[in-house]
Amino acid sequence: MALARGKGFHSKAVALAKVILPLLALALLSTLFMVSRSINPEDAIPFADVDVEDRVREPRMTAPTWSGVTRDGSALTLTAADARPQSGGARAEGLQAVLATPDGKITTFTAAEADLNQNDGKLVLSGGVQVETADGMQITTEGLTALLDQTEVTAAGSITAQGPLGVLTAGGMRLTQGQAGYTLLFQNGVKLIYQPTGPKPD
Amino acid sequence: QGASVSFKGLKQDTTLPVEVTADSLAVDQATGTATFSGNVRVAQGALVMTAGEIRVEYAAEAGKIAKLHAKGGVTFANAGDAAEAAEAIYTIDSGSLVMSGNVLLTQGQTAISGQKLAIDLKAGSGVMEGRVQTVFQPKGGN
Repeated sequence: MALARGKGFHSKAVALAKVILPLLALALLSTLFMVSRSINPEDAIPFADVDVEDRVREPRMTAPTWSGVTRDGSALTLTAADARPQSGGARAEGLQAVLATPDGKITTFTAAEADLNQNDGKLVLSGGVQVETADGMQITTEGLTALLDQTEVTAAGSITAQGPLGVLTAGGMRLTQGQAGYTLLFQNGVKLIYQPTGPKPD
Repeated sequence: QGASVSFKGLKQDTTLPVEVTADSLAVDQATGTATFSGNVRVAQGALVMTAGEIRVEYAAEAGKIAKLHAKGGVTFANAGDAAEAAEAIYTIDSGSLVMSGNVLLTQGQTAISGQKLAIDLKAGSGVMEGRVQTVFQPKGGN
């Protein structure tokens, strides 16, 4: 009997929906393919090709760190901007070395370039080196050689130092471990200018 | 007993910069003492002091030098007066310079020798002690 009442509003609506809805679905589906941007499989993984050739030509490490303990127990940690392996060690740029001696004093070295050579256990810093010792002395020199297995740092060229002592210039410098502890020896001609801060004469 | 010595016109401004030159300088990282060695020369204004070795002694607060301990044959010259001794201690701020060990002081013509010479650079005066001997050059000398 229900059907006899002919096409009620409900049936009309259903019949209409049966036509409209699939069309709508079709339209939606087609936007997926026809309207969407063309997908370029190339840029699926974005990578910078700038230093790829560079890296291929010469392998490099960026921001490497190297640390070791010398025979007399002071810890030496080196960090650099980047480093290239070379025979027997590595060559680094923008190097910072921290030497923590067992008596708790910290000396930091920063240098433009560094050659780490593990065969003969030497680290050669060049291109302008700054050293900051524990007692607040700032030393600038041209180049510096540090032994890796024992605490011995030698600056061959002339150095200037700024510190509690005043302004000091010297022909060379050596940080070595004597029996009484570590001594920083400035040599071949030393000149110190100290400005006393005592009371003015009355 | 001691002979008092006047250092005429010797007012020394102890706040002038001190310039130390030497062959080498060893800074002991543990204690921080600094020792200049190898014909060390200290110059402050007109005062010049030379010694075989000078050890710098720090004041309590960092960055201040309290005393210079000189040894290994010290010579001291300032505006016409000169003194020699085995050792000397120069306290920069108070301007006191104590020389010991067969001191020989020459001022112009006169020479005085003794065991210990304490000079106050600020006041420009000094006291020589210990077996003091002096040699006068009579004015009308030959």
